[in-house]
Formats: sequence, C-alpha cells, structure tokens
Amino acid sequence: MNETLSLTIRHHTGFTYDGLAKSSYNEARMTPITGASQEVRHARVTVQPVVPLSTHADYFGTIVTAFDIQEPHPKLEVEARSNVESRAGLVAPAISWRELRAPALVDFFSEYLFATERTKLAGDVLDPLAEWSQISDLHSCVDAVSAYVRGNVTYLPGATSVEATAQEAWDLGEGVCQDLTHVTIGLLRELGIPARYVSGYLFPLSDADVGEVVAGQSHAWIEYFSGAWTGMDPTNGIPETERHIIVGNGRDYDDVAPLKGVYQGAASSSLGVVVDMSRTH
Amino acid sequence: MASVTQVSMVFDDDSSAAWNEMFSAPGSPRPIYERLFAELGRYQPAELRQRSEQLSHTFSERGVTFAHSGEERPFPLDVVPRLIGAMEWDHLSRGIGQRVHALEAFLADIYGEGRIFAEGVIPRSVVTSSPYFCRPAFAVDPPNGVRITVAGIDIVRDEIGNFRVLEDNVRIPSGVSYVIENRRAMTQTFASLFSDHRVHPVDSYPAHLFTALRAAAPPNQSDPVIVVLSPGVHNAAYFEHVLLARMMGVELVEGRDLLCRSNHVYMRTTNGERPVHVIYRRVDDDWLDPLQFLPDSTIGVAGLVNCARSGNVVISNGIGNGVADDKLVYTYVPEFIRFYLSEEPLIENVETYRLEDDDVRHEVLGSLASYVVKPVDSSGGKGIIIGPQADEKTLAKTAEAVTESPRNWIAQRTVSLSTHPTLVDDGVSPRHIDLRPFAVNDGEEVWVLPGGLTRVALGEGELVVNSSRGGGSKDTWVLTDESIPLSESRVIKQRLRNFNFSPRQDGNVGRGDQ
Repeated sequence: MNETLSLTIRHHTGFTYDGLAKSSYNEARMTPITGASQEVRHARVTVQPVVPLSTHADYFGTIVTAFDIQEPHPKLEVEARSNVESRAGLVAPAISWRELRAPALVDFFSEYLFATERTKLAGDVLDPLAEWSQISDLHSCVDAVSAYVRGNVTYLPGATSVEATAQEAWDLGEGVCQDLTHVTIGLLRELGIPARYVSGYLFPLSDADVGEVVAGQSHAWIEYFSGAWTGMDPTNGIPETERHIIVGNGRDYDDVAPLKGVYQGAASSSLGVVVDMSRTH
Repeated sequence: MASVTQVSMVFDDDSSAAWNEMFSAPGSPRPIYERLFAELGRYQPAELRQRSEQLSHTFSERGVTFAHSGEERPFPLDVVPRLIGAMEWDHLSRGIGQRVHALEAFLADIYGEGRIFAEGVIPRSVVTSSPYFCRPAFAVDPPNGVRITVAGIDIVRDEIGNFRVLEDNVRIPSGVSYVIENRRAMTQTFASLFSDHRVHPVDSYPAHLFTALRAAAPPNQSDPVIVVLSPGVHNAAYFEHVLLARMMGVELVEGRDLLCRSNHVYMRTTNGERPVHVIYRRVDDDWLDPLQFLPDSTIGVAGLVNCARSGNVVISNGIGNGVADDKLVYTYVPEFIRFYLSEEPLIENVETYRLEDDDVRHEVLGSLASYVVKPVDSSGGKGIIIGPQADEKTLAKTAEAVTESPRNWIAQRTVSLSTHPTLVDDGVSPRHIDLRPFAVNDGEEVWVLPGGLTRVALGEGELVVNSSRGGGSKDTWVLTDESIPLSESRVIKQRLRNFNFSPRQDGNVGRGDQ
C-alpha cells in the first residue's frame, strides 16, 4: 500500500574565494539518515581539496562530516552522494489537545516549544491563534496553520537570504521553503504543538524514467508531534511523502545548516547548490 | 590608651545579626582566634596600617593586580587573616568534594543519556532553556570522565554559623593566584603570626592541578603536553594564567599559538609544531571555537571542539559546564547529591526561590525588598539586586524584568554574611566575607585546597564581596589542629552534628531559617 521510491542523490555545494583561503574549518550536514520513512543504502561525502574527513552524530542525531583544510585553496567543493529507499510516513490519528498539554509531554519536548531567534513571531501574524486552538483534530489544526502561512507568505526563490527570520519573511510576505518552515514552526509552538525543522531533499513530481537525472531541490519542511512526529511540507501544502528525503532535524535552520564553516582569507561567495536525483528502479 | 584595649574595642563592635567569625561575644574571641587576637593586640593601629601598606606594596611589585573600572589595581589584602579550624575544614572540604562529584555526574548525564530527566529529578526544560546548555558538548566524553578539573564553590556562613553554598563555579573559576600570593605576602610581613599557628600550606595547588591535568590526558599519552590557554594580557585574570603556567612548568599560549589539523591540536613554536594533549583553558565557551560558537572570535581555536570529540585533546574545564553554574540549576543541586550519590548534602544551599512558579513569584514580588535577586547567568556579582539596599526604582525595574522572563532570575533570602574584623579607614571593623575554596578533581579524588579565597566587602554593610565590586581579600588559614580547650571542641562538634540534614523544598516561599 505504501509506495516506495528508490533514489540516487547527488548534492553539490561549496565556496569560491576572491584569492585564496589559507585555512578553513567546516561541518557538512549532508548525509541522509535512516529512519521510519527511509533507509539509507549508501552515503558518501567527498571534499575538494582532498582532506581527511571525520564523522559523528550531533545532539539531534544528524550525521556531521567535519574537516579542515590547511593548504591555500581557491575554492571548496563538497559533494554528498547517497542511495535511499523512501516511503511515505504513516499518519497516525492524533492525540488530543489535553494529552498534548500534559506537563510531562510539554517538558519532554521543551526544546521544540521554545521560540528561537529564527522562529519567534509577534504582531498580527498571531491573530488566528485562538481560532486554531478550537480545531479539535491536531492534524487539521496544523493543516489550517500551514494553509494560512502559504496564503500569506508567497514562495519566491531568492526572496530572502539564508539568515532571514520567520518574522522578516512574514513582514515581507515572501520567502523560500526555509522561511515558510520557520513561520509554520513559530506558529505551532505558539499553539503549544512541538514542532521541529527538517532539512532534506525533495524529488520533484515527474515522469522521469529510471536512471534519468532530474534537478532536485534542497528542501525544508516540518515535523510536529501529534503522538508521533508527523512530517508536513508547508511550502507545498502536502504531508511528507516518499519524495521527501530526510537529512536531519533541529530547532531551526541553524541546527541543520548543510555546510557551515570558518576560514582565514579573502571574501567568499557560495558556489550555489546543485541537487541531482534519479530513480534507481 | 593601651593598644590591646583599643584594638579589641573596635574589633568586636558588631551589632548586626551576622555571625562574627572572630568573636562569640564582645571581648570574647572564639578559641581558634585567641592567639591571633592576642598577637594582633600587640600592634599599634599605626603599625598595622604600616604592615598593610607593606602588603599592598608587595602586591604591586609582583604585579598581583586586577582590572577595576579600566585600571589596574592591587587586589587589597587585609592584614587580619581569616581562620578555619581543622574540624570545620574537614566538614567543609568533604561537603565541597561531595558537591563536585554530584555536579560531575550531572554534567556527564545531561551530555549523555539523560537519566536524571527520565527519573524526573529536574525538568528537562530547565536544562534545555539554560543559556549555557551547550549542544556541541553532547557526547564529548573526557577520557577520565572529568569535566570539572577545577571548581570554585562559593561558600557563605549564615547568621547562626552554618556554612551554605551560595553558587557553583565550574566553568573557569579564578582567584587561586590570590590565595597563593596572599600567603606569600603574609608570611613575609607577619612571620611571627605564623610561628604561633600551625597553618596548612597552599603552595601545593599548582602541583595538584598539574597532576589532575596529566590524569585527564588522552590514554596512550605517557608524556602529555599540557598548556594554559589564556585570552591574553587584557584579561582581568592574566596574572593568574601566567602564574599557574609558570608554577606548573607548562606553556602559556593564546589562541593564535594553537592550530587544529585533522582533529589534532598543535602548538606553534620556534622549533616548529608540537602536539598538545591537554588544554587548561581560561577562555569562555563562547569564544573558544569559532566553528561552533561565536564565528568572529579571534581568541579561540577553530576546530577545537571536534578535536576534543575525537579524543585527541582534552579541554579542561569541559565545554558546556556552565549549565551547572546556572542559578536555577543550582536550586536542584541538593537533589543531584541525593540522586547520584545517595547521600544527604553536607552543605546546604541558601534558601532560593524558583520564580517560574506563579505562586512563588507572586509571593517574592510582593516583598521584593527583602530578597536578593540574581540573574541566573550572572557571575562576579554582576546584575545582583540586594533588595534591602535597593531603591524603589531599581525594585520596580527588577520586578518588571522578573515578570517578563521568570526563567532568567532567582530570588534568595538575604543572608547577612558572616563578618570578620578588617582594617578599614576608621580602624579595625567588622566587614562581610565569603569563601571561595578551590577543588581539583584528578578523577580519583577531589582535593580541596586548604582554605581558599576569603573575599571581603570593604564598604560598611556591603554584602557583595566580588573584586569587580571593589572587594578585597584575606589570607585564609586552615589550622592543622584545633589547639583549643576540650570543652569548646565539644561545642563545635555539637554544632557540626546540628548541620541541618533535613530535606528542604527550595521552591517553597517562606523563611527556612533555623
């Protein structure tokens, strides 16, 4: 009943420097993780220039590839390749609001209930909170919130920078998937629904043949707790499907930034992000 | 007027409710102080003042200064030492050791499996909302299990003579250099006083620290390289960094002297790179590794946290220790001792109120002028509001701040800290003091430096003793034997036995005073 999708993913990103970077220290969070809705068959991160890599799981369980480069280098390239078997997550009936507000549960999920600098919201964006809290079914409530966000923040690539906060995107009325995700998380937390940020990839709807490479996306969506963590994509207004491949989750973008680093040297610019995906069978 | 009379008159003029360390009643020195009192009584006030000037001269010469309001000043050392009897010290040092063991267990737990949350001893949200909870520290496990190589546990003595813990400092506690320098200056200036007392020496501190740092090294390092990492000459405690490095015989380095490569740390030297295995760092977490924390830190070392994670280097004290210093977490420490050690706390906390509880908060805000209110993340006495000494405007602002974010504040009963005769402008007069003992954990045992830093608030009635607030210090003598009449020793034993072991609800409003 549950359709599975077998995908090969290539995620390429990096930086070029105006001149040379003397040394750089980096962490990549670009490796999909095995969980209830996906199984990672193979994953490998490579870096140019070639340097030793070390991996560990961070506090949130995301696989981190850490490395440093000591030779002067004009650019840094990171490529993550993986092979993932994915299926749509099951959406179980939600627990009640009363169960959701049990002190033990509230305490357990406290990190996903506090606002962060990225997710905090104030002003008119909060107007419908009282109305939403009247919706008895949690899933329907989250759908209403998501529809509201999508209705008020237009998805527009390039509208905001990677540093944008939920409030900024809301005030602008435009944003990318990261922004719609932050706004949705901010609202759900205001409602007392534990919500977290998911970083990953989205395989586009296509009739591509097996083996045919299509342009995928680095993508962000949410998981909220309704008795179990339930995935939901506010940008597209759909539940998490087998086309959503999870890399990791956290309180907001900063916990799962795909590539972060510090370096010594001239100014840098991003190489951009390329995600190629293809079905393997 | 005979000098003895004159000195004694001012010595014991203490009408406050505070416990006077030296006198049990006007004119009656406590037994351990009898000899000191008699000896000091032989000095003319002018002579005492001259000795005092000698002390500060010694300090200026040795560069024992701290930065106060942007200028370097000698840390004022009072001529009258503070004495602690052997039996009291035994109790105190065991209580501090117990506390350090419990805090070690707590830190290992919250950066690991989180058993204490599952058992409901402390709400998870208290930890996850702490500004010091450091997610990059998760699963960075020190090889010998020690995160708190050095602890500075601040102790006060309350109105009835019980020691209490005021706060825990397990990040980068400073001040031990003053303990060493105070003793050095006092032995030079008051040699005769020492000949009358058997005092535990303090100069073995660097050796204990060095041993603990060696023990913390990655396994398979038979001869580990240890360094002291300082933020540099502009840091208020730079003198201490220099002193400790010199006394341990290890390199003093700054961030730019270290380099991380493939999860190993190296020191740049004139002879090329040299591996480093243990870093006794005096740089705050936030500035320690720009890859993990503040990216524009220039005093840190990029990549250091991942080097520690891989086990090739040990950062001492551990990263993320600040959670244990959080003043809301402090209110749970007695529970940690029961939970991790199955023991009763040997030293109680000061009565502290958790302001997230609506009832508690209303009660406290209703009579704010009687409490001490502290930001949970403060240190060095910064941001503390002493209710009884605050004006209306300050109290109103404090109430507003507490209401706005109750998690960020705690309230404490205003403890009238014990007083000690201290040389001030008008003569010798009682001033409030506290005590910061220093504990060193080498993984086998927690050793507490006999004595510690007694800080004294030099203003009359002033309750904040920190050097950053213009306080001074006293040489602190732990006597090697009681040398007191049997009758009195029985009294002390009695009092020790009467340390209140009964469980106390820190969250309840109401004076828990005995």
